[in-house]
Amino acid sequence: MAGTMVPAILAENLGKTYTRRKRKSGFWPGLRAYFSTESERFAAVTDLSFRVERGESVGLIGENGAGKSTTVKMLTGILVPSEGRIETLGVVPWRERRRLAQNMGVVFGQKPQILWDIPARESFRLLKVMYAIPDDVFRFTYDEAVERLELAEFIDTPVRLLSLGQRMRCDLAASLLHAPAVAFLDEPTIGLDVLVKERVREHLIEMRRRFGTTIVLTTHDLKDISATCERLLVLDRGRLLYDGSRQGFEERFAHGRTLLVDLGSEADAATRGALERDLADDDVTFTWDTPHRLRVECARSASAPKVTASVLEHLHVADLAVQGAELDAIVTRLYRTAKAPA
Amino acid sequence: MTTLAAPTLRQVIGGFCVLAQKTAQTKLTYRLATLITLLASGFAYCVFLLVWNEVYRQNPHAGPLSREQMLGYLVIAFLVNALLILNVESRFLQRVRMGLVAVDLVRPLGFVFVQLAQATGDLLVNAIYAVPIYVVGLAFAGSALYPASWLAAVLGGVSVALAFLIGFGVSYLIVQASFVLQSGYGVLFARAALHQVFSGLSAPLVMFPAPLRRVAVWLPFRHEIETPVRLWLGQATLAEAPRLLLEQAAWGMGLVLTGELVFRAVMHRHQIQGG
Ligand SMILES: Nc1ncnc2c1ncn2[C@@H]1O[C@H](COP(=O)(O)OP(=O)(O)O)[C@@H](O)[C@H]1O
Ligand SMILES: [Mg+2]
Repeated sequence: MAGTMVPAILAENLGKTYTRRKRKSGFWPGLRAYFSTESERFAAVTDLSFRVERGESVGLIGENGAGKSTTVKMLTGILVPSEGRIETLGVVPWRERRRLAQNMGVVFGQKPQILWDIPARESFRLLKVMYAIPDDVFRFTYDEAVERLELAEFIDTPVRLLSLGQRMRCDLAASLLHAPAVAFLDEPTIGLDVLVKERVREHLIEMRRRFGTTIVLTTHDLKDISATCERLLVLDRGRLLYDGSRQGFEERFAHGRTLLVDLGSEADAATRGALERDLADDDVTFTWDTPHRLRVECARSASAPKVTASVLEHLHVADLAVQGAELDAIVTRLYRTAKAPA
Repeated sequence: MTTLAAPTLRQVIGGFCVLAQKTAQTKLTYRLATLITLLASGFAYCVFLLVWNEVYRQNPHAGPLSREQMLGYLVIAFLVNALLILNVESRFLQRVRMGLVAVDLVRPLGFVFVQLAQATGDLLVNAIYAVPIYVVGLAFAGSALYPASWLAAVLGGVSVALAFLIGFGVSYLIVQASFVLQSGYGVLFARAALHQVFSGLSAPLVMFPAPLRRVAVWLPFRHEIETPVRLWLGQATLAEAPRLLLEQAAWGMGLVLTGELVFRAVMHRHQIQGG
């Protein structure tokens, strides 16, 4: 339809099954396996459907082997899906790889993108020509990257001599130089220290602000997501576990908070009983890790201030901490629940 | 409906040239390694030339070519071979193993042009090394290395360019095989052996036993070395030249196109390794 914006990404019932040759250990079984055509099939991604609009920023999260990279490879046209339909920027990625490449930026955190033996600055110049980047765009993206990611110090050093973190910064800069309409970043913060991670997030935010770049980010560090993504796709063993806003995710899965209480002196049975009676109407569970340490799990309905007040009233509290509202904690719990047999 | 801008032709040509240049620069980083390879194979080749020299000293009519023709042929063959040693496969096999192909696949040049540009970079550097080889060759074979005429020089030059395309085409096919096999070293060694025998690197095909010669005629390898050498030295007649160049062009284009078709088929099956 004329006037309708093509979505950045459209995936319908997407699936990828890898076939791998069966390998056996031991010499004779190994030799026999070598000459046989026996293979096993492994579904890395199953029945994945989602839609990403232009300008959105999406965090793709999931444990190791959840299928994040496989999904990114299908979205970028590197892998052909085994099932389902897929469109990136309105084209079938593997069929129109060149046209897509012109409008797409990709970082594979584990693979160097720019030439290994020459300085990053020269690779950047190469990319300027290869992507036909207009001067004004290049001036902005180049300066922004060099300053924000602090590349100046090593931009003239051959890439193979750089540390992982330095190389990653160059790769990220390189992938965004042409101000692509969509950027796929597969673990772009691997090997970066906290301060540099912060810089990377700022760079992504700035590129989005300036060019409306659609961003798909996979990561292990959920803080990357908190800072840059409004939407989450959570994968678990190749299946979509959650698709929605980050806030909605927190509301839906945040189970409440946990109060960690350290006691100055041991609480006797009577004191414990009084406390539990006091909070009997609230949705809380008490766990005594040691006689000196109490864990109070408060469901979302329970009022944390009230629980805290009650704890302080009954017990001789040496230290108190509240935890559990952070994305990490929620995701960890979610995985644990998903794994537990129903 | 917004249509996605495609890379322009100008952009592809520009990208091609800069990538070739940067690849050459990369290769020069390893000039010591290249130099050592060249010296080692150059030494072996000198011994080889000395043996032939001795053969002709003992029997001036050892073959259909005169001593000068033979030495001229061998030196130019070595030169053409040095010029056309491309890193396409070795660079590529390494990238397959590390799963770096993914990066080549998301460039607006397109996969085949990325590979061709890198091979062109190799050619540029090889051209630098070809000069000293020619100078050393002059000591052995003197005027026997000169092109037969201006026309022969031009024909030889065109023929070398087409030989480059053939060499690239064969490499590109090997690259596809390595996708399928996940490691293409077997194919690579097979190619090296075939090239060694059938390209005419060790001797012109007229010196081959008839059955081998008949096989060689049907393979692309002789067009990588024998054809350009014979055109340069005027050992191929001018009447033969158009047919030879056409055959070369057909092989070159045919191989690259086949590689491209196989590439498309393979992409449906292959899997990129790592991360
Ligand atoms: N080329 C391949 N051949 C066979 N299995 C693969 C291949 N690539 C990935 N896998 C498997 O598919 C699953 C998903 O992998 P991947 O997408 O890389 O996960 P993630 O990026 O989320 O860690 C893993 O179990 C992995 O072992
Ligand atoms: Mg991964």
